[in-house]
Amino acid sequence: MSKKNTFARRTPTDIGLHVWGILVFAYLFLPIAVIIAYSFNTGKVLANFRGFGLDAYISGINNDIIISSVVTSLQAAVGAALVSTVFGTLGGVALARAPKGAWWALGLTAILGLTLVTPEIVDGISFLPWFVTVGVDWGITPLNNGLVRLIISHAMFSMAIVTFIVRARLAGIDSQLEDAAADLGATPWNRFKDITLPIAAPGILAGALMSFTVSLDNTILSSFVQQPGYTPWPVYIFSAVRVALRPEVAAISTLMFLLTLLALAFVGFVLRKAGGSSTEIIKTMAG
Amino acid sequence: MSTQAAESTPEKTPGTPKRPAKTTQPAKPGGMSARFFGASAMSFPTWAYALFFFIIPVALVIFYSFGYKPDEFTAVATDQLSFDRYPEAMSASFVSTFFATLRISVVGTILCLIIALPFAYWLAIKVSPARRSLALALVMVPFWTNFLVRTLGWQIMLSPDGFLSDWMQGLGLLDGPLDILYTRSAVQIGVVYNYLPLMILPLFVAIDSSGQKLREASYDLGAGKITTFLRVTLPMAMPGVVSGCLLVFIPLNGDYVTATVLGGASGSMVGQLIANQFNTAQNWAVGAAMAVILILATLAVVGVGFSLLKLGQMIAARLNSVPLKDGRA
Repeated sequence: MSKKNTFARRTPTDIGLHVWGILVFAYLFLPIAVIIAYSFNTGKVLANFRGFGLDAYISGINNDIIISSVVTSLQAAVGAALVSTVFGTLGGVALARAPKGAWWALGLTAILGLTLVTPEIVDGISFLPWFVTVGVDWGITPLNNGLVRLIISHAMFSMAIVTFIVRARLAGIDSQLEDAAADLGATPWNRFKDITLPIAAPGILAGALMSFTVSLDNTILSSFVQQPGYTPWPVYIFSAVRVALRPEVAAISTLMFLLTLLALAFVGFVLRKAGGSSTEIIKTMAG
Repeated sequence: MSTQAAESTPEKTPGTPKRPAKTTQPAKPGGMSARFFGASAMSFPTWAYALFFFIIPVALVIFYSFGYKPDEFTAVATDQLSFDRYPEAMSASFVSTFFATLRISVVGTILCLIIALPFAYWLAIKVSPARRSLALALVMVPFWTNFLVRTLGWQIMLSPDGFLSDWMQGLGLLDGPLDILYTRSAVQIGVVYNYLPLMILPLFVAIDSSGQKLREASYDLGAGKITTFLRVTLPMAMPGVVSGCLLVFIPLNGDYVTATVLGGASGSMVGQLIANQFNTAQNWAVGAAMAVILILATLAVVGVGFSLLKLGQMIAARLNSVPLKDGRA
């Protein structure tokens, strides 16, 4: 119906809006297109296009430092997604089912809200001394591992996102379903597993994907908590910015970009199978 | 969607094969309070995580801001507490960088809003539903692309010997090479670009939920397009405007990656100064004081923004109110 509207009255405003829309899309995709184009640069310096070839891909894949930083990033992203999804789901379900005005629910909402509005640099500088205190001074040695540090700090960053997505997902659903299950004698665990979890699943999946990409993207926090031998990919690029950027960075970034698109398409597909409209899927995915 | 699911599941639930085995167990007495206790217990891990990895570390940093740097080899000492690090942190260079950062963030947020509002409106209302999902997916793509890599794309484009510079010179738009990389303008372009999707998505969600039906009702009641936009679409989009501005302004204010890549030495932002205190100068007390100032300033700007919004809403309500016959507004 609105399709008819679009084509029936093409006022100057409509045309202006269409042009604006296309311009914004061009703006959004321009730098990505540039990176993909320059990943085929055969020159030594990224910004100087010398010729077209796959040299950067070959030397990038054969570069141990680059590959190990990509692997570190992927491990940290998977770990952070798992940790934040578990904690965030628990938090989201608890918040959605909290009685009105419960102090612990209000407090948790406030704290998680605070984590979202805290500038990343502040998180970075607070994790740095804290990991030293807990890991070195208190002797909790797992916290001295670079990967563990990355996972913990990234998960902290995205836990709030998962919590709020799951809460929003459950908020629309009547808790009577769970009450009914309880009245029929379901144990709390069965109730959680058979009723709450399936309802929350699309939100949980969207939250997991969100924290995966947030972790993959993270530069500032990572540069503070990273340990030798566990340099994540964005931190590697960031340090290369200060020295010299080579086309390998663009090549590996293009591959990572394709990977992210695949993950997105997969989640979009699963959500669509779960029966959401595209708009709702985007809403869920955007939190 | 969700309500349908809620309605359809109860009919299925009793038939679930697992159920009969459990029904022998009597329902717990005082089920209600037990359930609520369950929710609060369930929130415990999240609480603990946030407490241990957010509240305590941040509190520690605030505490450090009252300490001092005792000698060259120690980052911080807290045996004597004072407010002295705050004036020390507010050096002339810090203050000028601070206001430059604030300007970039405020201008960046406003530019994002100006670019995103017509775009989100177009996406939610003018694009046909069949194409909308594709368009939305396309908006999401840069959002999921690595932040730093997108910024590198701008670095390539804006560089004086890059293709954009060559083209513009070829077209006669420029006399010399493009002279914008490593200036504040480059940083401004970069931050607007990097945070734009964070503005578009909440705006889209808000305008989309404002609903075609309400707009049609407005048309049916004889309102024109402009009136409908100003009095139906825009007010309903306000929550999106607020959350979009917060989503853009807050991370932007602490960002220094964009500034490092596109601004070089001339584009330093507050985040960078804080990072330098921790990484290079090893003076955690001054760095912590700078961080506290940044947090307070961010909160202050957000507070001012909210007050302005409330004021605007009050004025709009006054202007839009239609007096009824019995004198009520």
